[in-house]
Amino acid sequence: MAQMQILNVVKTYGKTTVVHGISIDIQDGEFIVIVGPSGCGKSTLLRMVAGLEDITAGEVHIGERLVNQCEPKDRNIAMVFQNYALYPHMSVRGNMAYGLKLRKLPKEEITRRVDKAATLLQIEGLLDRKPRQLSGGQRQRVAMGRAIVREPDVFLFDEPLSNLDAKLRVQMRLEIRRLQQRLQVTSLYVTHDQVEAMTMADRLVVINEGRAEQIGTPMEIYRNPDTLFVAGFIGSPAMNFLPVTVHGQQLRISDNTVLQLTAASTHQGPAILGIRPEHFTVPTNHWSELEIIIDIVEPLGAESLLHGHIEDLEIVIKLPAAIAARATDRFTVTVDPQHFYLFDPNSGQRIRQ
Amino acid sequence: MIENRPVTTVIAHCVLIVGIAVLALPIWITFVAATHDAVRITQVPLPLLPGNQFFQNLAAAWGQGIEGAGGQPVGNMLLNSLAMALMIAVGKIVISLPSAFAIVYFKFPFRMGFFWMIFITLMLPVEVRIVPTFQVVADLHMLNNYWGLSVPLIASATATLMFRQTFLTIPDELLEAARIDGAGPMRFFWDILIPMSRTNIAALFVILFIYGWNQYLWPLLITTDRSMYTVVMGIKQMLEAAEQAPEWNLIMMTTLLAMLPPILVIITMQKMFVKGLTETEK
Ligand SMILES: Nc1ncnc2c1ncn2[C@@H]1O[C@H](COP(=O)(O)OP(=O)(O)OP(=O)(O)O)[C@@H](O)[C@H]1O
Ligand SMILES: [Mg+2]
Repeated sequence: MAQMQILNVVKTYGKTTVVHGISIDIQDGEFIVIVGPSGCGKSTLLRMVAGLEDITAGEVHIGERLVNQCEPKDRNIAMVFQNYALYPHMSVRGNMAYGLKLRKLPKEEITRRVDKAATLLQIEGLLDRKPRQLSGGQRQRVAMGRAIVREPDVFLFDEPLSNLDAKLRVQMRLEIRRLQQRLQVTSLYVTHDQVEAMTMADRLVVINEGRAEQIGTPMEIYRNPDTLFVAGFIGSPAMNFLPVTVHGQQLRISDNTVLQLTAASTHQGPAILGIRPEHFTVPTNHWSELEIIIDIVEPLGAESLLHGHIEDLEIVIKLPAAIAARATDRFTVTVDPQHFYLFDPNSGQRIRQ
Repeated sequence: MIENRPVTTVIAHCVLIVGIAVLALPIWITFVAATHDAVRITQVPLPLLPGNQFFQNLAAAWGQGIEGAGGQPVGNMLLNSLAMALMIAVGKIVISLPSAFAIVYFKFPFRMGFFWMIFITLMLPVEVRIVPTFQVVADLHMLNNYWGLSVPLIASATATLMFRQTFLTIPDELLEAARIDGAGPMRFFWDILIPMSRTNIAALFVILFIYGWNQYLWPLLITTDRSMYTVVMGIKQMLEAAEQAPEWNLIMMTTLLAMLPPILVIITMQKMFVKGLTETEK
């Protein structure tokens, strides 16, 4: 267990920079999820922490130690890989014990730790099998076990659940979280699945093109995204974006559709208006209305998704099923102006009122 | 494609039976010839059923050999062949495992240069470089011994290239997991690469053993001492060196004996051999 600092870390391959100075301050025992689209540099960042990739510039501290120059084995970390990376010729027990053997731990201690981890993960019955005789979920557990027996300062996960089917993924993500809370080991968890990110993280790091766009708790980031990218990436279904023109207190989507702000905006001129699908409601007297032309209704059970458009702008709306059932071709909805997110169309930065 | 129509089944069986017959007939004739006495075997028509001289022939060939060939007992020639084939197979594997390891996993100057140099030796089998190789072996005083028989044949690139391919199929994550587990390069080589290449090593061993066993030209060239003759070249010598008519029954017996070790190797390693050639999942 340890706190951790990632300070202005940069990674360059030849002439291309894939990580542009990311800094994260991590508390002891915290579960940090690094999330971002494919190719944004998440794995690269994690591998630099692990020591599998050289750090071009910046510093990584684990505990009190600067580990830039340490070999992976000397960083006291454990890593769980996407494809599990179990040694195919070793039994489950062998896989879990291998790292400990190389550390020359006494036999009884190794057995004790492996048995304890196996009990924790409920894989006691599988200890003598080879990895190929296990299902995906079981392999994942063994990979976790191999990390746990090391009793590391930091767990590193690189998309450990993406090879599992949807149901198992939900179950495993709970299990990983429960395990981590029990062991209280500082963890860095990489994923591109924003649901996984939201549900697991103590704090989220949203990365886009090698830059940390925002760091914060999942709810902070959901409620208060700093940038257009973060707003669009976090939340499911994704936030609706409408190009608007701001005139005093008015948001003009087109000649016929104008929304009212509660107060005049500090920003005037073109902007991008973001509205989350779940923030639409049926009309009340207070707020300006939007008329949506509905194309498709997707019932999800308790709720329904309405896919429609205003003029030629696509819109997704999430409503309770009972209300959605009233939807006809044309449907009038409204939004509390406090759920309007305005962004600068050039920089993508949030315009705060 | 699996079809179950009776006609195709019959045709398939016919083709297979003909094929097997074509392959097996010479072996059968060899066996039959090895069971008759020297007189019967020179008369036409050739016998097609076994005679009763098998054990006498076996004793003669194994123990004293054929006079024409300098009386080398087959037992001794088999031993020479075995030593040569084993040294070639083991030697090649022992050398090519680390060299493939170096080429795949280490970054060093001129890595691709070395790779291509190894690759190019594929174009230079012993037969092509036979004169200079003979010169080298003679200068190193390796004529008429096991080193001379095997060392020049060990130097070739096939095994290195094959192991390189095998290593390239092993996912990088495994190396990374091993690094995090604290395995240095040599540990990784011993604990992970070699066990994971086990079936490939077995397959290659079979191929190389037979390759070594079947060597003819090279042993012929460098062994002048009869006690160093290998069995494959020995058979040829039996035919030529005799002033009297060749003793076909003994020659055929020798041939049978010469076939045994490769067959044994294949039978014992068959399972691993097939796995090593077909297995793709790592
Ligand atoms: N060895 C390398 N040489 C050059 N570029 C590389 C190398 N490794 C990764 N990259 C580049 O770095 C960028 C980030 O890669 P990285 O693997 O960190 O992405 P990621 O965020 O993990 O994506 P994914 O979700 O697909 O795993 C990519 O654009 C990739 O092409
Ligand atoms: Mg990745």
